[in-house]
Formats: sequence, structure tokens, C-alpha cells
Amino acid sequence: MANFLEYFFFALIIYYMITLDKGKLKKEYKIEKFLDHSTIVRRFLELGLTVGQKVKVVATSLQKKVFLIEVRGYLLSIRTSLLEKVVVSQ
Amino acid sequence: MKEVLLVGNPNSGKTTLFNSLTSSNEHIGNWHGVTVETKQKAFEFEGEKFLLVDTPGIYSLCALSFEEEVAVNTILSKKNQKIINICDKNNLQRNLYLTLCLLERGCDVILAINEIDKKSIYKIDYKQLGEKLGVEVVCINAEKKVGLFDLKKALSKKNKKTKLPYLKQLSGELQGYDLIKAYEKDEKYFKQEISSVPDDSLEIIAKLRYGYIEELLSSCTKKTGDVYGKSRLDRIFLNKWLALPMFLLVLSIIFYLTFFSLGSFLSDILQNFLSWVTRPLTDWLFDVCGNTWIFDLFNVAILGGVATVLSFLPQVVLLFFFLSILEDSGYMARIAFVFEDILGRIGLSGKSVYTLLMGFGCSTSAIMTARNMDDKNAKIKTAILCPYMSCSAKIPIYTVLGGAFFGASNLLCIIGLYLLGVVVAIAISKILDSTILKSEKQSFILEFPPYRTTSLKRVFKTLWKNTKSFLLKVGSVMLSMNVIIWLLSAFSFKFSYVATSGEPSMLESIGKFLAPIFTPLGFNNWAIVSALLAGLVAKEVVVSSIAMFNGIDAGATKLISESILVSSNLVYFSSVSSILSFLVFCLLYTPCVASISMLNHEIGKKWTLFSVVLQFFTAYLVSFVIYTISFAIEIFGFVKIFLLLLAILSIILAIWFVVRKVRKKEICANCEGCKKSCNKRRK
Repeated sequence: MANFLEYFFFALIIYYMITLDKGKLKKEYKIEKFLDHSTIVRRFLELGLTVGQKVKVVATSLQKKVFLIEVRGYLLSIRTSLLEKVVVSQ
Repeated sequence: MKEVLLVGNPNSGKTTLFNSLTSSNEHIGNWHGVTVETKQKAFEFEGEKFLLVDTPGIYSLCALSFEEEVAVNTILSKKNQKIINICDKNNLQRNLYLTLCLLERGCDVILAINEIDKKSIYKIDYKQLGEKLGVEVVCINAEKKVGLFDLKKALSKKNKKTKLPYLKQLSGELQGYDLIKAYEKDEKYFKQEISSVPDDSLEIIAKLRYGYIEELLSSCTKKTGDVYGKSRLDRIFLNKWLALPMFLLVLSIIFYLTFFSLGSFLSDILQNFLSWVTRPLTDWLFDVCGNTWIFDLFNVAILGGVATVLSFLPQVVLLFFFLSILEDSGYMARIAFVFEDILGRIGLSGKSVYTLLMGFGCSTSAIMTARNMDDKNAKIKTAILCPYMSCSAKIPIYTVLGGAFFGASNLLCIIGLYLLGVVVAIAISKILDSTILKSEKQSFILEFPPYRTTSLKRVFKTLWKNTKSFLLKVGSVMLSMNVIIWLLSAFSFKFSYVATSGEPSMLESIGKFLAPIFTPLGFNNWAIVSALLAGLVAKEVVVSSIAMFNGIDAGATKLISESILVSSNLVYFSSVSSILSFLVFCLLYTPCVASISMLNHEIGKKWTLFSVVLQFFTAYLVSFVIYTISFAIEIFGFVKIFLLLLAILSIILAIWFVVRKVRKKEICANCEGCKKSCNKRRK
């Protein structure tokens, strides 16, 4: 039973995990992990997008190619293709 | 002399502090990446001399772009120097990340917390923060010069040994700063892979640093305000449907005020003033020298040529003034956000908007700002495209020549020319992106600054700076160029004065030799070709050269227009189509020498040569097309030519669609290099 519950919750977390480029407007997410350790991820970390940190999608551009996100009390605009590397939970 | 480095995040106020401490007037703006190279100047305090070095903005000691590398190398190459780490008070959490990086390195840091905005997000206990970090903390306002005395005093104080407790949690074979660099996986530091640290070491060290910052801020500060950079104005400026029309409205207002209402009014006043000042001087010269070549040299080359360009000073300064207001307001970052979608399609970055908009002011300084782009190919493209944006030096050409032929409707002509420059730049960017300068995956990351108003003091400083630079240009380059051109146009190859000997001048001979090249463009007059050649030095010289060839007096801009229209209409330009073609050629042809040398500095010889050749051929081709179409309209009428062009365009589009469809089918048939749309179909 315990194992089943563990699997169930794990599946639930996986279900709720998305990459940030699929984030929705005005929604808040929690950063879970990064998919690689490229230079872009290094920049994200420097800018305060660390694991466990909450981020909020504040605005999107017309074609949704750029997101404006709120992190650590300031605003950052990032191209969505870069946010494919950031896994978040809802 | 003690060396002091100014280090901080982008847009934290480093250059403002540099200006305040050294009484300089370096370029500043409310936007990321305005400073792209180091600047240094000395200042004195209590008998001791300091050399202050301003560096481009960085987020940590790992550089990811060229300008960051400049800053990081400056910090790492010098040991034991004092560092003023400037932090924006309202964005303290992110700014302190760099402070920790500097303290880990063992730098001698003074923390200068800059109160840029009136509204504070944090209430800070500076003393406690200084004690916890083991550094001197000074609260300043770089723009209002508040707290600078304390900051200068702190330069002579020595810091206590800083203890950073989170560093104990790092473990590995290495020790001290080497271990930190191993966790950061800094390839430039080690030049080989380090295996003794965890795979996610980057995340670990970033989390530890931010964890410590949160702990610090919770004990030393009280958060009182909202999110940094958030504003209600963004509901309009970032609105999906309103953002672009708002941008166009802002640009239209700027151009209207610069070239017409305000600009034109001020230009007229200055022109009348110049005529009033130079008239007695001309009369006196005539009395002294008589009607000789010396009188001509002073009256036409020196007074006439220079005063003609000088009368455009208000328009040039106004354009720079509005661009600087845009820069200071924080709107530039919003424009970059809005344009990232559009410019991404043609292989540019949203950050290119800044460079391209600055190109409307001066290409030379704008090209340098392309440096803050992360993608090398996007940087080269932006620098190459910058001269296509019509710079302020071309304003006299449009106003004088356009005004002569188009009269009141010259506004439409000028707007059309500016738009044409943008359209040609877009087309070239698309072609370059799909051929020799393919962009890498775009890496657009940009911090949003808050909206800010410009202070009157800064407005006057900007105005004075641009006026001074324009006057210097007029007094040096253009004056000497006018004299050279006048000498070439007044004397023959046998060095006899043309007016008395009747021989063709040197310039006439050179111009006549080159003129046939421009026959297909509708202007093959030697004087016009010579003016274009002179324009390679500075674009303003084109109009002053024409003024000289016409023998126009000082400051009489309207007379130049009239002389072209009335007396020389048939000589200079055979029809409206030929003047249109000339204006387009002036808009697009090879930029001035200063821009070429800046291009060479930023993108190298190969791309500079490519850019110069490309611009000449683009100008020639577009001018030829414009001349042919407008000439055909003059002969056959607008409707017939419009229908013909529509038919040609339809045929081209039809061929394009067919070729595209055939190519897609080919890809689907052999399934090699499958594209996204093809994949969807297969699914």
C-alpha cells in the first residue's frame, strides 16, 4: 500500500511537471530542475532562477515567443525556447 | 595613484556614479548594456589621487558575452585594488549575488547601495548588513551626488576578513577559491574538466549563495514595496494588440516634433540669426579682398558651407534629445520585448532594436552598442544593418533637396525614406539569415527596468554633449572638407582659377569621369556625383557641397532649394524621379568614414568590406528600381504602372508558392531533413 501511494504521488508530481515554456499567463510555478547545465542555465542560476524558487508568468509577447516572468521580486523577459530547459511544477 | 574599479549588475548606476565622481559626461541610459567597454578617469580626495575604472555590467565572475569578458578580465587581472560594488537598492537580492562572488574571490569591496528610485522596496539596516558581510556599506544616490563623501572616505578604510558561512558546505579535493571555481565549472579558470564535484554543482553553489542572501535580507532589511520594474503603464505598452501601435505613435510624435513643428521653427530662427551674423562679415570681406578667389573661399566654402549645415543643429540635437528620453524612460526594454517576436523571424534579436533606433541618431555610436548581443551572427547582422537606418546627418539632404521638389508634402517623402531604410534592412537581414549569417538559437534574456523620468540636469547635459560633438564635427571635419572640395572645384589640374581661366575644375573632371555610372539612376551631373563622393567623409557635406557649387551665401538654406528648383532644375535633376532616386541613394549608400572604422573595430575587416560593398550595391539597385518605377509613372500614369506591378508581383508570388510546394513534397518523399510541418503531416 505504501509503495502504491509513493508511486501514485510520484506519478502525480510528474503529471504536474511541465517545462516553463508551456506555462500559462498569471500562473505561478515552482522550479523543480534544469534539463542541462549549459551556459544559459548558468545565466538563469545567476539571475536567481534556482531550484525551489517560485516564478510567475506576468506577460507574453504577441506570438508567445517571449515570456515576462517575475522572479525574486523583479521582472525578467526570456525567450520561451530557452525556458524549455526549466522544469517547473504547478 | 590608487586604482578603484566600479563593478555591478547591468543598469545599477555605475556610469552615473562614474560621472558624479569624476565630473564626466559619459553616456548613460535606463536599460541593460549601455556601457560596453571600460572607461577610466582620475579624481582626487583629501590629497590622494584615485584612478576610477568604469566596467560593463556583470552578474557574476563567469563571463558569457564579450562585454562581460571585458569587465571580468579587468577584475581578475588586477590584484589588491579597491572595488566599489554598486547595487540597486530596489533589486538588492539579485545584486548581492555578484557581491558574494567578489567576496569569495577575496576582493577588497565597498558596497555602494544606490537609491535610484524615490519609491523604496527595501528598508535597510546598513550597519548590520555591513557587519554581516564584513564590508563597508554606503548608501548613495549617484545622480544627486548624495553620500559620495562617505563613499570616498570609505576608500581609505580597510575591510575586516569576510566570513561566508555557506562555503563550509562545499566539499571536494580542491581548496579555497579553486573549489568554488570547480563548483562553478568555470572552463576558463581550469581549462580542463573537474571530476571531483557533483554534477549539479552549479545549482548547489547558486542555491547556497541565494540562500545566504535571503538570510541576510531577512535579518537586515524589511520589504515594503512591490515588484521591481512593475508598472501599470505596461498594461498598454506590453498589451498584445496595443504595443506596436503605441510604439509607432511614439516614433511619429518624435519625428514630427524633430523635423517639422518644433525642429523646423528652431531651424528657421537659427538660419535667420546666422544670416544676420554673417552678412556684415561677407560685406567686409568683399570690401577688403574684392571679387577674388580668396573672397570666394571664405564666403562660399567656409561661411556658406559651414553655416548651411549649422542651421540643422536644432533638428539633430532634438533627435538625440528624444532618443535619450526614450533610453532613460525604461521603454527601450519594453520595445525589445515586443520586437523579439518580429526580429527573431529575420534572424535578429529584440536587443537589436536599441542599436537600430540609435542608428537614427548616429550610426557610429550605434554600431558599438551591438556588442551587448549574445549571438555573434546577430551582432554582425545588426552592425551591418545599422547604417541603413537614416542617421541624423542625412536630415539636411532630405530637408533641402526634398523640400525643393516636394514642398509641403516633404513630410511624406521623409517618412517614406525612413520607412524604406527599415524595409531594406529587413530584407537584407532575411537574406543574410538564410544564406551566410544564419543565427544560432536566440538567447534573449533581458531584465525589465522600472519607468523613470529624466531630470532636467541630465537633459541639458545630453543636449550640451550632442551640440558640442556636432559643432566640433562642423568645425573640424566639415570645415576642412569644404575647403578641400572648394579648392578642387575652383582650380583646374593646371592650378588656374576656373572663374577666370574658364578651364574645367579638378572636381568637374573627376565628377564627369564617374558620372556615367549614375546615368541609369537619373542623375549624371558631375556636381552631384562629386557631392556624393564628399559625403563619404560626412553625410552633411553633401548639402554644403551643393551649396558651394551653387555659390550660395552663408546660412541661406532656402536659397539652395530654390537654386536647385529654379536655375539648375534641368542641370542637376532632370525630373522628380531623378531627385527621388538621388535621395534613396543618399539614404542607402556607403556610410561615413567614422562608421566604417567603427564597423571595422566591431566586426572585423572582412565583414566591414562586405558591408561597404553591399551598401553601395543595395543603394544602386534600390535607386535604379525607384527611378525606373517613378519615371514610368511620370510617362504612363500611376494606374497603368500600378496594375503592371501588381501583375508582376502576383506572378512572382505564384512561382514562389509552386516552388515551395514542390520542395515540401520532395522532403516528404524521401523523409530526409524533415521539417516541422512535414512531421505533423506524418503524425
